[in-house]
Amino acid sequence: MAYVKTKDTPSRTPPLNESSVLGWLKINLFDTLYSSVLTVLVLIAVFFAVKALWVWGISDGVWIANSRRECFKISIDGACWAGIFAWFDSIFYGRYPRTDLWRIDLGGILLIVWMAPLWLPRVQGKILIGLSTVALYPFLAGYLFTGGDKGIFMQIMLSAAIVCFFATTANAIIGFLGGGNLIAFILRKTGKNKAPEKQQRNMLLTILAIGFIAVFLWQRGWSLEGVTWTRWGGLFLTFVIAGIGIASALPGGILLALGRRSKLPVVRVLCTSFIELFRSVPLITVLFMATTMFPLFMPEGFVLNKLVQVIIAVCLFNACYMAETVRAGLQAIPRGQYEGAHTIGLGYWGTIGLIIMPQALKHMIPNIVGSFIGLLKDTTLVSIIGLFDVLNILRTISRDSPWLGLHQETLVFGAMLFFIICFAMSKYSRHLEVKLSTTHKN
Amino acid sequence: MNNSKPEAVQGQLVSAASSEIMIDLNKVNKWYGAFHVIKDVDLVVHKGERIVVCGPSGSGKSTLIRCINHLEKHQEGTIVVDGITLDKNLKNIDHIRTEVGMVFQSFNLFPHLTILENLTLGPIWVRKMPKAEAEINAMKYLERVKIPEQADKYPGQLSGGQQQRVAIARSLCMNPKIMLFDEPTSALDPEMIKEVLDVMVELAETGMTMIVVTHEMGFAKTIADRVIFMDEGEIVEENEPNAFFNNPQHERTRLFLSQIL
Repeated sequence: MAYVKTKDTPSRTPPLNESSVLGWLKINLFDTLYSSVLTVLVLIAVFFAVKALWVWGISDGVWIANSRRECFKISIDGACWAGIFAWFDSIFYGRYPRTDLWRIDLGGILLIVWMAPLWLPRVQGKILIGLSTVALYPFLAGYLFTGGDKGIFMQIMLSAAIVCFFATTANAIIGFLGGGNLIAFILRKTGKNKAPEKQQRNMLLTILAIGFIAVFLWQRGWSLEGVTWTRWGGLFLTFVIAGIGIASALPGGILLALGRRSKLPVVRVLCTSFIELFRSVPLITVLFMATTMFPLFMPEGFVLNKLVQVIIAVCLFNACYMAETVRAGLQAIPRGQYEGAHTIGLGYWGTIGLIIMPQALKHMIPNIVGSFIGLLKDTTLVSIIGLFDVLNILRTISRDSPWLGLHQETLVFGAMLFFIICFAMSKYSRHLEVKLSTTHKN
Repeated sequence: MNNSKPEAVQGQLVSAASSEIMIDLNKVNKWYGAFHVIKDVDLVVHKGERIVVCGPSGSGKSTLIRCINHLEKHQEGTIVVDGITLDKNLKNIDHIRTEVGMVFQSFNLFPHLTILENLTLGPIWVRKMPKAEAEINAMKYLERVKIPEQADKYPGQLSGGQQQRVAIARSLCMNPKIMLFDEPTSALDPEMIKEVLDVMVELAETGMTMIVVTHEMGFAKTIADRVIFMDEGEIVEENEPNAFFNNPQHERTRLFLSQIL
C-alpha cells in the first residue's frame, strides 16, 4: 500500500488548554464530579483555617499595650502582638548596647554594598569582589561588632578591608556606568594607558600604598567601645553563626569531597573518616562536644570563647554535609568531561576548577541551598547551650514579668521570620538554576 | 547510503608522510583486570602519516589510541610520542597531551561553556595565550570547520555533527602535532556523518599526523596511508588501503571486510 502526501496539514490551535485560566480550572480542579467535590471541600477547610487565623491575629489582635494583662483586657482571645513590639530590639540585636546598635546596622549595610556589585550587570572582576568579601569583610565586621583595643594585626587587616571596600565599590560604580574596570579607569584618567606595563604597575601600587597608609593613620585616631560576645544575640547572632557557617561550608565541603575522591590513600581515608564521624553525630552533640570537650584537647591557657567554639562546630558539621552534596554532584559528571579536559592539556586543578566543579555545583544548587536553609534553621540549637539566638530571645519574652506566658505570639513571629528568610533563599536558588541552565536555552 | 560518503572518495590523497618518527609503540601490553586487551602491539607512525584503525568491537582499537595520550595506562612496553617517553612523570603526560589532540565518539564538549569558550579554554589556561588572541585564533578554526555563526551558543543547542566539528576545532586550537580520532562518526545520524568526514579530509590535506579509529571504509580509502586491522588485542593485518581492501591476506580480515562492505 503506497502512500504519497498530496496536501499540507495546517497547524491548528490546541484544544482547551492549561494556559488559559478557565482551561486550567477545568482541567485541574473540576475535571470530574469527584474532583469537583474534593476541590470545594478543600476550599471550605482553607477558608475556615484562614478565617480563624485572621480573627486571632489581625481583627482581635492587640497591637498597643504595656503588659499581657492589658492585652487580655482589650481582647481575651486575640493575639498580643504588643509583647513582640516591646521586645523588638532584643529580637533583632539581643542584649547589644542600645546606643551602639548602629554598629550592627552599619555592618549589615557594608556587607550589602560590598556584595551588591556581584549582581550588577557590566561590573568587571566579580571573582575578585567575591574573594575580597570572604577574605576581608570578616575583619571589618568583626571589629565593628566587638570593638575594643585594636592589635597591630587587626589594624592592618581593618585598613586593608576599608581600602578594598572603597576600591570594589568604586570599581562597581565605574563598571555599572559602562567605564570598564577601576584599573583601566585610573590609567585612562591619568593618561598612562599607553605607558609601559611596568610604569603602570608602579603607579597603581603607589596609589594603593598611599590609600592604605592614609586609612591606616586615620583608623589609629579612633576606636570603638568593646562589646563582649555575651551581649550578642537575637537575629544578629543567628546571622553571624549562619553567615560564617554558609561562607565556610561550601569551600570546606568542596575540599573534603575532593579529598574523599583523591587517589592518595592517606588523604582519602582521613577525609572519609572525618566526614563519616561528623555525619553520624547529631549537631547538638557536636555543639556540646565543642563547648565541653574541645577545651580539654587544647594546650593550657588557650581559651576560646563559647561563641567561637560553637561557630567552629557549626562550620565543621556543615562542611561534612556539604562534602557529600558536592560529591553527589561530582558523581553525576560523566568521565568524558575529564577526558575532554585532559586532552586539551588541563591538569588536575584546571580540570576540577574549570570543567568539573562548575558543572557539579550547578547540578547541586537545589541541594546546596537546601543545606544552607537547614544550616540557618539548625542555628536555633545553640539556644540549648545558652546562646541567645533569636529563638532563645523569643522564649525569654514569656519569662519577662509584664509578658509572662506569652508563647504563641512569639513562636508565630519566629516562624514568620524564618519563613521569610528561608523562602527568599529558596526562591533565589530557583532563579539561579534557571539563570545558569545552558541545556534548554534556545 | 551514498550521501554519507565524502565527495573526495574518488581520488586518493597524496601521502604527506615523512621519515621523522612521531609515535613509536614497542611491545605494548595492557590488561583490564585479568583480561588481556592489548597484546604485544608494535606500531611506528611517521610525521604526516594518516592511519586508519578498524576491527570488530572489543578488539582494543580504542584502548590502543587512548594509550597514546595516556587516557589509559599501559602496563608493559614503551610508548614514545614526539621523542618523549610516556612514563609515570606527570609533566611528560601533560606535555604530550598538549601535543596530541583527541576527538571522541561522544564529543565531550563542555556543556557549561559557549562554543567560543570551549575553544579558548585550552589556549588561555594551558598555553597562557591572551584572551583576545585566543578568540581570534578560535574563530579562525571555527571558520575552518564552517560554523563561525555558532560561536556564542552552547553545545546543547547544536546538532551532533556540529558538536563534533566543534570538538575537532577545539583540539586544533591547541595546535597539536598529532590528532587521534576515536570513532568520530559512530554517534552521528547518517546525514551528519558527511559534514564531519569532510572536515577530517580537509585536515588530512594539511598534512596532519592522524590516527583514526573508524568503520567508514570509503573515508579510509580516501585518506589512509595505511590501514590497520585489529582483533582480540592484536594487529592482525596492516597494509596500504588498496591492497588492504582489494586483497586482504588474513582470513579474519577477509571475514570482517565481507561483513561490513
